[in-house]
Amino acid sequence: MRGRLAALLFCGLLTSGIGHAQAPASLEPTVEKALSVVRVNVTNQAWDFGRPWGKRTPFTRRAIGAVLPRQRVLVTAELVANANFVEFESAGGGQKVPATVEFVDYECNLALLKTDDTEFLKDLLPLNIGEARIGDQLSVWQIENNGNLLVTHGPMTTAEVLRYPIDESPFLVYRLTAQLQFRDTSFPLPVVKGEKLVGLLQRYDNSANNADIIPAPVIEHFLKDAVQPPYEGFPRLGMGYANTRDPQLRRYAGMKPGNGGIYVTEVLPGGPAAKAGLQKGDVVLKIAGETIDQDGNYNDPQYGRISLSHLVGTRHFHGTELKFDILRQSNPRQLTVTIANRPVESFVIEPYVIDRAPKFFILGGLVLQELSRQYLKEWGADWKKKAPEQFVYLDAQQNELFKDGPKKVVFLSRVLPSEATIGYEEVRSAVVKKVNGVVLQGIADLPKALAQAKDGVHKIEFDGEPGAIYLDAAQVTALEPMLATKYRLPTLQRLE
Amino acid sequence: MIRPIGAVALLLALTLSGAAQPNEIRHSVARVTNTAQDANYRVPWLPGQVGSGSGTGWVISGDRLITNAHVVSNARFLTVEKENDPKKYIATVEHIAHDCDLALLKVQETAFFVGTKPLPLGGLPELESLVSVFGYPIGGERLSVTQGVVSRIDFRTYTHSTVDSHLSIQIDAAINPGNSGGPVMQDGKVVGVAFQGYSGDVAQNVGYMIPTPVIRHFLKDIEDGRYDRYMDLSIGFFNTLNPAMRKALGLTDDDRGVMVSNVQEAGVCAGLLHPGDVLLAIDGLEISSDGMVELEGERVLLSEVAERKYLDDVVKLSILREKQPMEVEVKFTRAWPFTLQAQQYEQQPRYVLFGGLLFQPLSRNLLGAYAFDNLRISYFYDHFISKELYREHPEVIILSAILPDPINTYLAEFREGIVEKINGKIILTLDDMVAAFAEKPEFYVIEFLGTGRPLVLERAAVEAARERINSRYAVPAEQNLDEKIPAA
Repeated sequence: MRGRLAALLFCGLLTSGIGHAQAPASLEPTVEKALSVVRVNVTNQAWDFGRPWGKRTPFTRRAIGAVLPRQRVLVTAELVANANFVEFESAGGGQKVPATVEFVDYECNLALLKTDDTEFLKDLLPLNIGEARIGDQLSVWQIENNGNLLVTHGPMTTAEVLRYPIDESPFLVYRLTAQLQFRDTSFPLPVVKGEKLVGLLQRYDNSANNADIIPAPVIEHFLKDAVQPPYEGFPRLGMGYANTRDPQLRRYAGMKPGNGGIYVTEVLPGGPAAKAGLQKGDVVLKIAGETIDQDGNYNDPQYGRISLSHLVGTRHFHGTELKFDILRQSNPRQLTVTIANRPVESFVIEPYVIDRAPKFFILGGLVLQELSRQYLKEWGADWKKKAPEQFVYLDAQQNELFKDGPKKVVFLSRVLPSEATIGYEEVRSAVVKKVNGVVLQGIADLPKALAQAKDGVHKIEFDGEPGAIYLDAAQVTALEPMLATKYRLPTLQRLE
Repeated sequence: MIRPIGAVALLLALTLSGAAQPNEIRHSVARVTNTAQDANYRVPWLPGQVGSGSGTGWVISGDRLITNAHVVSNARFLTVEKENDPKKYIATVEHIAHDCDLALLKVQETAFFVGTKPLPLGGLPELESLVSVFGYPIGGERLSVTQGVVSRIDFRTYTHSTVDSHLSIQIDAAINPGNSGGPVMQDGKVVGVAFQGYSGDVAQNVGYMIPTPVIRHFLKDIEDGRYDRYMDLSIGFFNTLNPAMRKALGLTDDDRGVMVSNVQEAGVCAGLLHPGDVLLAIDGLEISSDGMVELEGERVLLSEVAERKYLDDVVKLSILREKQPMEVEVKFTRAWPFTLQAQQYEQQPRYVLFGGLLFQPLSRNLLGAYAFDNLRISYFYDHFISKELYREHPEVIILSAILPDPINTYLAEFREGIVEKINGKIILTLDDMVAAFAEKPEFYVIEFLGTGRPLVLERAAVEAARERINSRYAVPAEQNLDEKIPAA
């Protein structure tokens, strides 16, 4: 739900933000400063998961990157998602150099860029990371056509933990109220306090004048991780929890009245919490010495009461051991959880597939793919309602449904009709269970399964209708050149 | 020489079958006015809104009237009127078949039938032949007659139940609200019952009637005094057009047979057929590779053969299993038991109210009453049969609403949850739930599907809240486990 709203707001600034052009944006005249920003131009071209052999139409976006020490430039990961070409452009225009993505993390929505041209950034003043508190006046930096800074001030109104564009893990967000003017750049925009970078603006709602900012602590975590390869990413616990406001639940769980603590509702098999021995029904009272209240918040010295996700996921790093004080059936215990990042590849249905081509296999005209949320998002912003319901359900409940495998879900997305697929034209969106009797753990298992054809016939079995279909193995092979030519397919399979 | 004989034969046929004359038809068509009370699924202990509507009915043998089920659904008070007779006669529903949208009415005073003539049933009309629709549609008070031609004979969904499909005939005569239940006549015989139009602006002059095989099926089914509903094989099948599939299944190149793709565990074919079997013939009728059979000169889906069966009838299937020919006999021991996806009528909603929490089984009616925006609920509804979810959830029990009270202040997050267990016991039906709540543990611990926390209610608190909730919200009964209510 949030992701959808955010996407909507994102379009808002690009298209209709012009309406604010006459509004007074800056209380002080634009000052000549030593610039610490560059324009970043990116040509993105995403893979088309509906037609996995090809890419979508490329499009170009302009944004503003914050120049950091060591000649690095910080932008959002969204900006460089599926980037074909990245370039830096001087603020006043004119000068351009090619750039590359050094590190990118789609979960925290940050990317670090660099250029081989050591001259290009040398005269710019690098920004250091600062810190901000609720009530501080922050400045959003944009660039005028003439290269001058356009500075918009606004107060930071909240700091809270929210879901980021990749709808998986929650992170801290600063919220700023400011009336931004429309310029030819989209996001990110640097957000500065004093002469220090305190965040990157990633979303703007031009009806409420609210800006969502990736805050300094998330940026610092990302940068520290990037300095010491391998980049490990933001850690998580691998558990779900519920608040314990309900006094009846508290008494049932043997908790004292008004004594904080969260109720563990889910422990992901193989995750950090599971490895530490945490169980469903445990009550977590403290993490790393910080008292956890009944809503799952702790008292942060900088931001006050905020979600434990910030404590675990941002303030600490992958591989850190955290002490948990818990109650199990009313008895206090201590556990040590070694927090860890969950690599996107470990999901059965991957929440995002960016910078990676979709895997597929065209078998005589049957298009077989691996199910991912990226595929479902081909149905647009309203994909949760419009994509095949069974797939949306599998994705949403994947932690419950795939405890015993498979590793990936292979499905038939559509049929490119051919002589081999007569009678199968209407089959679509069907989960493949077995091919020639071989249970598929992923699409990479297909070649070895296809080698098992019986009497020259491939048998493809589905979970549900139509049960099973058959293909003539020799015909499938013979049809390959025809399929490639007629349907203009550059390749009939991509398994890696 | 031949012609006169033909003419005599035709005349004879008319006399013998008692074809009705135009004025007799008019006298035998009645306006049916229904005062209905639809159940309230939102507040299931309330009696529901009263409204009224009208349709058309016609006289058949035995001093009875035929109309559509949707004309007399949820009836509390029914009247029928004839042309040229000012009196309103009180009628009652004798039989109602929601799965084929037909109903049979009795009229209290036999005086109603004076001057009427039972209309005889005909057969399937020819394509392009002319038919006349009699009824009391909107646009006037008196009987209306419209004419059109038979455009198409096809299997079609009957919108009254929303899930049942039977043979239906499309005609291009105007069918408007109020026509429902009226006879469609050809050569003095009833060839159909007008019952639905085409929704939307795209189609014009599209009306549908229930053809006589469906009417006769209904009349035969109720001969024993009870309506048993349509029989159904409860299987899925898939075409065998593909040569590789035909080879793998051991079929020759004769365009025959369909592959069984699914056998419902709760259906009559469970254990008798298996996915992968090939159906070659049904009751001796050859099945073509797209699932059609030829029945009385029409190419129809093989399901139509099962459609024409009754409770305890047997259907003979010639199949190929693992390439071996076999004969299978399937006895229709019961109609399909799970009607969650079908619109329900004449029922008082089932519910349990406990601690201010309202639990109701998932149904089309419930979805119509609540604007649930819940992926799990829509999945359970849409895939209830295709994924055989009824095996673990014969009733999908939803916490549909909460009557706010201090006892449930912190429970709002559980709304729209599907109940899985109470105090460790799996809950299959509302009756299981009542049994679990009848026990006296210290805590009632309700677990829902998914990964949320358990809902905990203290027994002492529930008992203390009971009177308070019932009186504050004027709840006359904390549960209803019987669904049937007497029809008018």
